[in-house]
Amino acid sequence: MKNNKQKGLNILMNFLLIVYAVFALFPLIWMLLISFKSDTEVFTTTFIFHPTLANYQEVLLRSDYIRYIRDSVIVAGGAVLVSILVGVPAAYALARYNFPRKEELAFQILSYKFAPEILVVLPLFMIYQKMGLYDSYVGLIWVYQLISLPLLIWVVRGYFEDISVEIEYAAQVDGYSWYQIFFKMLVPLIKPGLVSSALLAFIFAWNCFTFPLILSSNKVYPVTVAIMKYLGTDSAHYGQLAVASTVSAIPAMVFALCIQKHLVRGLSFGAVKG
Amino acid sequence: MAGLTLSHIYKRYDNSGKKKKVKNDFAVKDLNLVCEQGEFIALLGPSGCGKTTTLRMIAGLEEITDGEIYIGERLVNNLHPKDRNIGLAFEDYAMYPPLNVYGNVAFNLRAKGVAKDEIDKRVRAIAPLMQIDDLLDKMPVKLSGGQKQRVNIARAIIREPELLLMDEPLSHLDGKARQAMRTEIKRLINKIRCTTVYVTHDQLEAMSLADKIAIINFGVLQQFGTPAEVYDDPANEFVASFIGEPPMNILETTIINKNGTFFFTFQDSNLQIAVPKRYYSVVHDGFRCKMGVRPMDVLIGGEDSQGTPEEIATFENLGDERRIGIHVGDVLMMLITEDEKRYKRGDIIKLEVRGEKTHLFDTETGDRIREKK
Amino acid sequence: MARIQLENIKKAFGKVQALDGITLDVKDKEFFVLFGPAGAGKTTILNCIAGIMMPEEGVVKFDGEIMNLVDSAHRNVAMVFENYALYPQMTVYDNMASALRSKLYKTDEAEIKKKIQWAAKIMKMENLLERLPSQLSNGQKQRVAMGRALVRNPNVFLMDEPLAHLDAKLRNSMRTELKEMQANLGSTCIYVTHDFMEAMALGDHIAIIKEGKIVQIGTGDEIYYMPCNEFTAQLMGDPEINIIDAEISGSGNALAASFGINGSTVTYELPMDSGVYAKIRDRQLKRADIGIRPQHVKYSFEPAEGYFKATVYSYESIGNKSVIVSDLGDVRHSQLRMIAPNGLRVEPDSDIYIRLEIDH
Repeated sequence: MKNNKQKGLNILMNFLLIVYAVFALFPLIWMLLISFKSDTEVFTTTFIFHPTLANYQEVLLRSDYIRYIRDSVIVAGGAVLVSILVGVPAAYALARYNFPRKEELAFQILSYKFAPEILVVLPLFMIYQKMGLYDSYVGLIWVYQLISLPLLIWVVRGYFEDISVEIEYAAQVDGYSWYQIFFKMLVPLIKPGLVSSALLAFIFAWNCFTFPLILSSNKVYPVTVAIMKYLGTDSAHYGQLAVASTVSAIPAMVFALCIQKHLVRGLSFGAVKG
Repeated sequence: MAGLTLSHIYKRYDNSGKKKKVKNDFAVKDLNLVCEQGEFIALLGPSGCGKTTTLRMIAGLEEITDGEIYIGERLVNNLHPKDRNIGLAFEDYAMYPPLNVYGNVAFNLRAKGVAKDEIDKRVRAIAPLMQIDDLLDKMPVKLSGGQKQRVNIARAIIREPELLLMDEPLSHLDGKARQAMRTEIKRLINKIRCTTVYVTHDQLEAMSLADKIAIINFGVLQQFGTPAEVYDDPANEFVASFIGEPPMNILETTIINKNGTFFFTFQDSNLQIAVPKRYYSVVHDGFRCKMGVRPMDVLIGGEDSQGTPEEIATFENLGDERRIGIHVGDVLMMLITEDEKRYKRGDIIKLEVRGEKTHLFDTETGDRIREKK
Repeated sequence: MARIQLENIKKAFGKVQALDGITLDVKDKEFFVLFGPAGAGKTTILNCIAGIMMPEEGVVKFDGEIMNLVDSAHRNVAMVFENYALYPQMTVYDNMASALRSKLYKTDEAEIKKKIQWAAKIMKMENLLERLPSQLSNGQKQRVAMGRALVRNPNVFLMDEPLAHLDAKLRNSMRTELKEMQANLGSTCIYVTHDFMEAMALGDHIAIIKEGKIVQIGTGDEIYYMPCNEFTAQLMGDPEINIIDAEISGSGNALAASFGINGSTVTYELPMDSGVYAKIRDRQLKRADIGIRPQHVKYSFEPAEGYFKATVYSYESIGNKSVIVSDLGDVRHSQLRMIAPNGLRVEPDSDIYIRLEIDH
């Protein structure tokens, strides 16, 4: 009796999950399908069509797509790297030292994430043009700090706060200098948080659209913006657009899948305390 | 009249979901207890021994696999917790934060629809008893640990339950506060004379609070008796080592016969202790067992003592008493003395034990070996 | 090993004066206990010796050499922390080896291994070396923390309540082991505790600390039998010493103390002790608080000669013996504690008859 009831409940739950999965995955599948269709078939067929790799050839071989990917990697990767270099010491300071207005400062860092991108991007555009940062790697990496730095600082700070200060004392007494302690003792301990927040920051930076759209043009061309190119004013190459989107989504998806377990645990661990 | 009867209680957790087969899958095994009306019973055991499970079964929060539970004369197996007429005070003070102390204490009665002035009367009656009269208007967040625990108990007893259940109510408090609260509970229960079951892993708490102690290990009742009984007449090695601080010295021994007198001898030690005469009927030459004697019952013999001379390994002067440790093989045997003499490491003393306080235990099962009557 | 001296150490955290002129002299190879209630500043003293904190005033000397400006890595001290502070990512073996692998105390691996095995044997944890701290129980962690200090050859061992987080049984057995270990090693050790049994059992000398100041320094016996004030007397002993309000009367060599109990008055002659007598005479004392330890309070459940009547407030076991607390009625220090054996059947609020053995 009880068993039957539980079985029924299980079936119902699985059914609901499947419905949700279809709902969530459908756009992705749709995109994947389109990427194999020729332009003529895009609107005329749904599931039955003549698969072609023409779109892939066009995008990957005959356009500058590879360059766009490279730009994205440089900008997003650079942004995360800078965030780690700046963010880890900042997080350590926020966790360990007491200074006036500490909490206000920490909150301000977090608040960078609150502002709508479109709001800050216009003044930034003017400033960047004046300073010569417009359409440069440095400029984009800099502005991406708005995305990656707060995330990293807040997660890593939680980790530092979780390490008891006595461990540092113990290492001092054991004869280690501060730098040795930091790299030998503390870095291994914050690694889960550091890795997961850095990867998440990378994904966010990778997917960022507004900043590169407005703050860069020809020299630096991340994929998110580049995808737009396939939507010409006169003709829309949906097939190529789909290819560009699919390929650009791959790194994010691969990362997300690889670190899935790590990510949830790593972020929530810090989040409890932070 | 019995206040609470547990008859052949079993509890088995359903392990079907887990891949690993748990070896001892009975959390509670064939537990029988009879608790008289108004008695204070402590369920004592190490963590994970099934004492909390037992309490939860009595409360009705956990299903019973087999057996019967009676509260008073009522069989309560199939009654919902709220119909069992019990009061509960748990380890963590689950108070309703938006209500003040008064509201918290009155909550149960309000839920039952007791008239307002009746509630007021009862709260006012119980507040001075628990010394929370000044706290009634305060919010739970402003209370200290001890105060919260008092409110918690007040909440449990205001319903005038037939049975009061407490699960480690003191474990959140530290040293002094704990001791003070222990005294409070003892006095309170004495006043209201309610049948109480109290779960704890602290043998001191059980010893000082309970009328009777049920010692449980691995879901099996080891001994049920008054504090004096479990202390002086333990049923087995587990009870002997669990009760008392410092714990009883329990040493593996081989008994030898020297010209008609039996002696305990120990591996890697020259120590010999005469076997009390009353055990002569059960021992023989070469008999192996464990000997248990409390540190208080090991004595320092005088000049003319027959005891074996032994070297002192540790000497601790604790002010009120002095503790001496002696190596017997690789076990440190403790003795406690109130003798004012200061010894030091390496001094030689002669050891004697109080024969009437010496216990024998089976090496394999740990059961007490008793003299034949 | 070294002699440790502190001279007039002062340290404040914000507005709180944590240490207020601490002066200590710990001789070479001495086991020195800092004893006091929580928040007295004991840990801060250790931190100042270890160099983790800088005192604002005063001098820390190791063997006469001023160490104030030497950082903790170069002070060569070994410390056991209250929360053990094991490195969670390292195995027990690596934890213990960490000091010997640092640049300052570099030792070759074969030597490290020998030392760790030696320490592991003393601490009875040879089977734990490959585990991570998260796989250890509190008692085991505590052993590892001790072991980590033991493998070194420091100027001084600093121990901050190493037994505080263990349960009572383990604490007592570890205390005994520690006592034995210390006797074998013969090292300078400064040990912080709030447990008077640890202080009494372990310390060659004990310093009582209260609110950042030293109240008394002496051997265990000195402090137990000749406490310099009520605070010390109450701190030393469990159950706590009884303090009773008394009126001093008489003159010359026959002083007597009277206590008001339940409305009636009980008078005892004070023992002949010229020192105390002289003091009382000098100050013209009329009233005094008299302390008497619980084991010197005799009781009986039958009326008897020289005993006065009171009521039982509670009866509780404290391990190998029990404490009866009696209620003396409406006086300032109304509760009187006394020692009784385990297993008596004593009902609260029953009558009890008490005699004080004041000659102790």
